[in-house]
Amino acid sequence: MTAQLPLRAGPPGTPGPGPRAGAAVIETTALSKRYPGAVTALDGLTLQVEPGITGLVGANGAGKSTLIKILLGLLPPSSGQAAVLGLDCVREGQQIRALTGYMPEHDCLPPDVTATEFVTHLGRMSGLPPTAAKERAAESLRHVGLYEERYRQIGTYSTGMKQRAKLAQALVGDPRLMLLDEPTNGLDPAGRSAMLDLVARIGSEFGISMLVSSHLLGEVEQICDMLVVIDGGRLLRADSMTSFTQVSQVLLVEVDEGIAELAAELAARGLRPRQEERALLVQIASAATYDEVRDTVADLGLPLHRLEQRRRRVEELFREETA
Amino acid sequence: MTAENGALAGAGGVIHDIGYRRYTGPRLGRPAIVRALVWYSLRSSVGIGRGAKAKIIPVIAFAVMCLPAVANAVAVAQGGHRVVPYDTYIFQLRVLIMIIFVAAQAPELVSRDLRSHVLPLYFCRPLRRLDYPLAKLTAFILACLALIEIPLLLLYLGTIAQAGGPSAIWDQTRALIPGLLIGLLWAVLLASIGLALASLSGRRAYATGSIAIYFFLTWILAGLLDSVSGGRGPVTGGLGPATAGARLSGLVSPFTTLDGVRQWLGGRSRGPIPPPGGYGPLYGVMFLLLLAAALGLLVARYRKAAIS
Repeated sequence: MTAQLPLRAGPPGTPGPGPRAGAAVIETTALSKRYPGAVTALDGLTLQVEPGITGLVGANGAGKSTLIKILLGLLPPSSGQAAVLGLDCVREGQQIRALTGYMPEHDCLPPDVTATEFVTHLGRMSGLPPTAAKERAAESLRHVGLYEERYRQIGTYSTGMKQRAKLAQALVGDPRLMLLDEPTNGLDPAGRSAMLDLVARIGSEFGISMLVSSHLLGEVEQICDMLVVIDGGRLLRADSMTSFTQVSQVLLVEVDEGIAELAAELAARGLRPRQEERALLVQIASAATYDEVRDTVADLGLPLHRLEQRRRRVEELFREETA
Repeated sequence: MTAENGALAGAGGVIHDIGYRRYTGPRLGRPAIVRALVWYSLRSSVGIGRGAKAKIIPVIAFAVMCLPAVANAVAVAQGGHRVVPYDTYIFQLRVLIMIIFVAAQAPELVSRDLRSHVLPLYFCRPLRRLDYPLAKLTAFILACLALIEIPLLLLYLGTIAQAGGPSAIWDQTRALIPGLLIGLLWAVLLASIGLALASLSGRRAYATGSIAIYFFLTWILAGLLDSVSGGRGPVTGGLGPATAGARLSGLVSPFTTLDGVRQWLGGRSRGPIPPPGGYGPLYGVMFLLLLAAALGLLVARYRKAAIS
């Protein structure tokens, strides 16, 4: 399958060692991965990811983790190509891993060492000299908000703190790209939004590109510049968030009574309303839509309760698209 | 607060965060990373950088292993000759200490990481798939080597301290070198088997148990086979020629295999098994087989772990 994406940047760079300027952060062409036993994890995935924060959304088992492993050069694809920062995932995996920070989905922290020791050690494993590893570990832990607790054993951390420590180890090597696999996993709503804020900050203020996987669309859409949606190993849609919002402006109209009457009248005027619980949603075509809706309510003499412009959640769009 | 910061604050905002700084220093390549992992693992295999509890077994093992060397130094100082051989050291003691050390410390190196699923954090870094197990193995061989060879060196120093003249020192040195080489064979084989068995389980207790059981059972079995096949037991009074069964019985245990290799290569001191005679090369083959099996298991284990 192919997908024509509007996100294409400049022409693909010339092959060679080191990250290539101007190249897409992630680029895959007809990427497939089949596991023994006829399990297809990725099926002809073609996509391009530009610098910024990109959400990788799909249900559990959609192929998100498989894609991340291929991108890190840890899993050979069955067919197709993949490149990260202009480096080939099969041949140049080691260089890719030197420039990439990875936060695994599952628990991956030893309980009996302090966060400082652990992150310092992993900084060494990312290729930092001893002193630099110590400094970068302290700084990474400060950025994720664990500076005060950095000398505590990780086993004493809460789930939220552990997720932050996982983020810190991905950040310690000063990567160009971070691959975060379900960073909000296991967190409560407050922890989720704190983690998302942190990811958004690292992505926007630190200038590090991010690929954030999640099975919850509503979650990553808050922080992403781009969204890649995969389903059953296939690309469902890849687009910038702005292009999603362009088509997703709706007007919500709520009346105390006579909702059926209003729906009929709006439909008659060609506005195609859609009922959602006790309100009607009307696609905003132009500024005239507001007047049209206001006039309709006034003409019918209905008690208007609420009239608001709303950005439709991307989730709803996909529900429509896949339905 | 400096004047500059004050000015900034006055200009419309207080800067609390010094912001993100990119790393511009040197980045080390894979060989340096592997060396760092070897060093880190070597430290943890002897309990450095861990709590006091983690140091108990390495420290006790080392102290006990040094006792014969100390006793020898005392004996030599009182006018006697060297009482401990270089090639076997005190065999039973060395077996016991090595079983305890390997069973206790091999899981420290690999089982902890398996238990807490740390491996993906290594594999996502600029290392190749087998760098991790090979670095761990190198570190553990070095730890075992230190435990075996340092007492030998103490034995040597304690002996030559009282030696009369360069020729006596030269004699001692010539006797020491084969002993050090045999010690190297011990360290390589036992560390490999220990790590391979430990890598099968993330649970420390299981890992320790399986190593201890394997080493003890095969060790006892070798002694048993030696006895039932006539050995140097009551029949010959330990002096007559050993039966073929007794000569082969050492092949079942890594420790007696190591001793078979020692005797085959010309070690003179009396060991736990009768001299293998013509079966000597078999012990060499067995040594290589055990080593190959352990390394194969270790490699297979981490090849699988890398992609899961």
